[in-house]
Amino acid sequence: MPTTLRIALLAGLLALVSNLAVIGFIYVRTHDEAVASLHRQVAEESKVLTDVYRTGGKNALNEAIDDTLTYADPQTAVALLSPDGRELKGNLAQAPSLQGLQEGYRSAVIRLRGQPSPHQAEIMLSRLPRGEWLVSGRLVGEGLAFRATLERSLILSLFVAGLLGLLCGVILAHYVSRRIGSIAAVANRISARDLTQRVPLSGAGDSFDRLGSQINAMLDRISGLMEELRLLTDSLAHDLRSPVSRLRAAAQAAAETNDPREQEELLGSVVRNADALMRILTTVLEISRSEALTGRHQFAWFDAGELAAELTEMYDPLADEQGASLKFEKPDRAAPLFGHRQLLAQALSNLLENAIRYGSDGGEIDVRVERGDKRVRIEVGDRGPGIPLDRRQEALRRFGRLDSSRSDEGAGLGLALARSIAHLHEGELRLDDNRPGLLTTLDLPIHLPERSR
Amino acid sequence: MGRKILLIEDDRETASYLAKGLSQEGHSVEQAANGQDGLFRATDGSFDLIILDRMLPVLDGISVLRAIRAAHIETPVLILSALASVGDRIEGLECGSDDYLVKPFSFAELLARVNALLRRRESRVDPADHRLAVGDLEIDPLSRTVKRAGKKLDLKPREYLLLEYFARNEGRVVTRTMLLEQVWDYHFDPGTNVIDVHVSRLRRKLDEGFEKPLLHTVRGAGYMLEA
Repeated sequence: MPTTLRIALLAGLLALVSNLAVIGFIYVRTHDEAVASLHRQVAEESKVLTDVYRTGGKNALNEAIDDTLTYADPQTAVALLSPDGRELKGNLAQAPSLQGLQEGYRSAVIRLRGQPSPHQAEIMLSRLPRGEWLVSGRLVGEGLAFRATLERSLILSLFVAGLLGLLCGVILAHYVSRRIGSIAAVANRISARDLTQRVPLSGAGDSFDRLGSQINAMLDRISGLMEELRLLTDSLAHDLRSPVSRLRAAAQAAAETNDPREQEELLGSVVRNADALMRILTTVLEISRSEALTGRHQFAWFDAGELAAELTEMYDPLADEQGASLKFEKPDRAAPLFGHRQLLAQALSNLLENAIRYGSDGGEIDVRVERGDKRVRIEVGDRGPGIPLDRRQEALRRFGRLDSSRSDEGAGLGLALARSIAHLHEGELRLDDNRPGLLTTLDLPIHLPERSR
Repeated sequence: MGRKILLIEDDRETASYLAKGLSQEGHSVEQAANGQDGLFRATDGSFDLIILDRMLPVLDGISVLRAIRAAHIETPVLILSALASVGDRIEGLECGSDDYLVKPFSFAELLARVNALLRRRESRVDPADHRLAVGDLEIDPLSRTVKRAGKKLDLKPREYLLLEYFARNEGRVVTRTMLLEQVWDYHFDPGTNVIDVHVSRLRRKLDEGFEKPLLHTVRGAGYMLEA
């Protein structure tokens, strides 16, 4: 059964059931009220007549019955029956059979004198002390007629309600399936490998729009990841190609040469190229690990200022050899940080190596540690050529090496690794203009926010 | 002088290559091809060194190491592993191993580390303040002063630590990664020759003006301090 039909039927059924409940309530209430009020009237009359008999005897009763017949409304039935059921006085054209009767209320069909047809009536039988029966009652004809009309209109309204419900259901189902359908269509096209599709939003800001925009956000993230993965695989294949071909060439030459010295040199080159390959693979693995947020169980408190001082000291001779000077000003107060000391050391060393490699011409490289209330910033600023604004995103990507002619293996991974390590700490790596030069900043929360612990 | 080494490694090619190399160095090597067998042999306690592969059939390397340490066997353990990330290395070291070497490695690197571990076991009782001497070089670990041929050398703190480490491994090859791990306590692989620059600075202060150099470069392996 199609969903549209199911929703329509469900809505129709719900309308029917709720109407039925309301109508049933009205029906029962009016019925009970009508019967109760009849009973009260009948009981009243019966009591009056019985009292008359008790105080005035049979003659008084006869007079009272006559009065009743004269003055009461034509719906009133009253009769005095002999113990064997014959009518002694009253307006019953046809006395009810007394066989097996007892005192009390009952519904009966009776015909009053002067009326053409019998009617439904509520009557009360009372036994008088000498064995006669006093019949007192009222026709329910009018009430019945009203009730019949009521019932008919209720049943009719039930049909109308059912139909309206069904109609509402159809409209609702159509609306829902149209909104869902547009989302489903996008999902279908995406399954058919077109990741550029997005769910159209109605602009109403309703749940469907929210669902749509969540799906769109998810799709953006997926296609971003896909693109990154594609770039990564492409670059990995590309970057591995040169060390592998150098390795292969060296191995082949080593196999062919007869000169032991040359052979030794070539084999050394084989080992170096194999090491370079391993370094690339290890770094790629390290990046994936950090992006997958593994390693947080190894977080501990340490002083970021001390770490920066240690690494600056470590890289100072290297910068010196490149004609640059590495400057670190120890901050006045400690900058405690809850994180992975080893990985952050690697991230900072990558930033330092990057600055030394590309920014040494500028002479000075400044390292700073700034402690905020909730964050610690570790900055490395060089005076080199810097990176233009539109190339910075690319510089942060894996293998996003800006100068593709450079042959230093794995150099395109340094910033990407530093960024993924920042991500592991819920922080970020920023590239800014150092006016002139490049300013790289590891901006880290002092500790992970509660939700990500 | 030969030592008893237990090699727990499931890859037969690696195992026989290592066993052959270590035997040629004069050590006697016993082999185990899975974790359970390795643990059984290790509990004997008679080995001078255990070389343990991290990923082993039956019982993995880390579990073997934990069991060995739980049994109060203090034999030095060198872990070999293809798990190369910084986190993996830290985890391996925190489990009670004495050193962690990532595959693939050169035999020279392994040998340097094996020798350093064996030497550490030998000199464990040596007091830290014991004066070190290599040829005409004298090192006083207490005052952290260094003299060569009676003349005091002016070293920066890190240069002193570097030299002390070399001196404690006198006559043995020390690799770049060993220096990075032992002197700086960093466990990542720097993409630059930063360690070499430090060593060459130390060498300038140490050997310049002296006829006989003490700090030697060992090609394809690392450095060695030897008179």
